[in-house]
Amino acid sequence: MHYENNDADSAFGFDGNWQDFAKIALPNLLLTIVTLGIYRFWATTRERKYLWAHTRFVDERLEWTGKGMELFIGFVLVMLLFFLPFSLIGMVSEALVARGQALWAVLLTAGSFFFILYLTGVAQFRALRYRMSRTRWRGIRGGSNDQGFKFGWSYLWKTIVGQLPMGLLVPWSMTSLWNERWNKMSFGPYHFDADAQSGDIFGRYLLFYLAPILLFVAMAIAAVTGGGIGFGLGGEAGTGVGVGLGIAIALFVWFFALGLIAAAFYAKYFREVVGSARWKDLRFGFEASTADWIKLYLGDFVLVVLTLGIGFIFLSYRHWKFFIVHMQADGNILLDELTQSTTRTAKHGEGLLDAFDMGAI
Amino acid sequence: MAKDCSTPSTWGRSDMSEPAFQSFAQWYDGHTAIKHEGEAIWDGGGLLRLRGASGSLEVPFADLEFGEERLGETVYRRASEPDFRLILPADLPPGLASKLPERQTYGAWVDKLGLGKATAIFAAVSVAAVALFMTAPEWLGPRIPQSWERNLGDAMVGDFGNRLCHTRDGDRALTKLLAKVDPEQEKVRAGVANIGMVNAVALPGGQVLLFDGLVQDAESPEELAGVLGHEVGHVRERHVMTALLRQFGLTILLSGANTTVGDTMFGLAAMGYSRDAEREADEYSRERMAESRISPLGAARFFERLGGDDEGLTGWVSSHPGPAERAKAYRAAARGKTFEPVLTAAEFQALKDMCQQDPDVESFDLFF
Ligand SMILES: [Zn+2]
Repeated sequence: MHYENNDADSAFGFDGNWQDFAKIALPNLLLTIVTLGIYRFWATTRERKYLWAHTRFVDERLEWTGKGMELFIGFVLVMLLFFLPFSLIGMVSEALVARGQALWAVLLTAGSFFFILYLTGVAQFRALRYRMSRTRWRGIRGGSNDQGFKFGWSYLWKTIVGQLPMGLLVPWSMTSLWNERWNKMSFGPYHFDADAQSGDIFGRYLLFYLAPILLFVAMAIAAVTGGGIGFGLGGEAGTGVGVGLGIAIALFVWFFALGLIAAAFYAKYFREVVGSARWKDLRFGFEASTADWIKLYLGDFVLVVLTLGIGFIFLSYRHWKFFIVHMQADGNILLDELTQSTTRTAKHGEGLLDAFDMGAI
Repeated sequence: MAKDCSTPSTWGRSDMSEPAFQSFAQWYDGHTAIKHEGEAIWDGGGLLRLRGASGSLEVPFADLEFGEERLGETVYRRASEPDFRLILPADLPPGLASKLPERQTYGAWVDKLGLGKATAIFAAVSVAAVALFMTAPEWLGPRIPQSWERNLGDAMVGDFGNRLCHTRDGDRALTKLLAKVDPEQEKVRAGVANIGMVNAVALPGGQVLLFDGLVQDAESPEELAGVLGHEVGHVRERHVMTALLRQFGLTILLSGANTTVGDTMFGLAAMGYSRDAEREADEYSRERMAESRISPLGAARFFERLGGDDEGLTGWVSSHPGPAERAKAYRAAARGKTFEPVLTAAEFQALKDMCQQDPDVESFDLFF
């Protein structure tokens, strides 16, 4: 069987609606509250089942096969294996300080900082692997044979090196880590290829360096005009109030400008990294513009504020929909060559760390 | 889809041609991405027959599991073939529907109970768990062996090294004072800390510190005996462990396991103990003083001064019950009894000189 997708229609589609999602999210919220948060692993799973089931790729829906219990056990393991030792390290370094061994305490704290950075990398890799291995399309799943421990090291040193020259290498560390983890992933028999380039996003990244200058200029203008208006209204005392108010407004504007810069950068970043990804003969694309990202986050903000916080339960829905609606793919898939993944999956014990499920892609 | 199902059939008897027992079906075998289309038919026994242009197979009903519901369709899985998928229309003919596994919504427990009942049960269990957790320090604290507490305290604070004041005569006087208010074989470890505040603390691991500020403020050795006895009371009545557990529980609750023990340890001094614990420690102190024939009037006077407006004393006041009330209790304990001086004037003076005359005492900045 040979499938070709050259239609004007996108290869990805989403047909969920928020009313149906609310029927899942509201009982989830209720159960999560009465179980003191424990139900949230099952809640997450139910939400994903809904989101995946209403996501179409080419001509078939996705399916989420993860289980709440997996996430729960993963959480317990993470608590036992990482947070317990870390609070012990905290105690030991306190005790060292109490004994005047400040140097050892500093070394221990620095060591645990690096270890946390390493673990963050491992966790990011495993979260992606977990999602790939729990996603079915036409009965086929994804995964990776890599455990992510090597990626942890890359994450550690690339993150640090990226920050060193005044943060100038951050775009490089972001794209090269993206490539590294996606090149280890596969779906069915085929692996993904990613070769995102940092050069293309570097221009947008430089906007962040403009921010402090912008702040200074905005503050100066706001203070002078604010002071002027204040003086006109209330003489000497009015000047002070006017300057203060002007600076407050400038700060607010600055944070807003910082948000705009971040939106511009991430819009470009996602277009670059998703656009560089291939899977066999399929090329992917992500078409969200800076304005789309701004609308998404302003929408989130308005939704949460207007519902006095309850709206946060719809954020996962909004973000998933945003992601799918802007995803593109074209190329060929040979369905009869598309066989089941042979990557190892988490069954019991060793693979349970798969459920180390924090932020995705 | 199920048009002629208004007349109930007898499920025991089967007729494969009857539309009540068959349906359109799609399936994936879990090995390739090829979609199979055809019909699903109950064979009258325990098997579901899938017949299509691209192949047929038989699946035991017992092997089928509910997968998920999606727009107009229900997805079933096979226990023996984890990636096999059978997709049937949601409005199945009832004959077939009755053979298929039931749908699940919230997860096994909640589905069995129903959302309302499950919510009520979970809420009740949660309230009980919270109650148990909140009261745990009170019943767990006294049950933790003293030796554990001592090890824990050593790990947390260690000994204070040169930050405690020592002179030969001062140490001797303190040992004598302690012996009178702590009858146990293994004494608590008491010391005078080089801190100017008017305060005293009982720390984890059976460590009691009188601050030099309090020693300087004392007008008689009986006052010191009262305060020392009170802090020893906190140790012996296991208030320290209780407060430690309470503080530890709070930090877990508030910030995950991300606790700095420094906050915990000296949070103790700030948080103090419950009023009941303070009363118990006072009683302990009065009983020991009565046994050792020490006048509680010194302690009473100490509290009377606290009740006045001496500003240096707020530290001790804030975490303890009203000083007037406590002074009254100490005065009452003195009625109709005779006492002996607890320390000689020289010994009392040695305690007062301890921090000044210790040549290599260090300051306590690190902690307070
Ligand atoms: Zn007390």
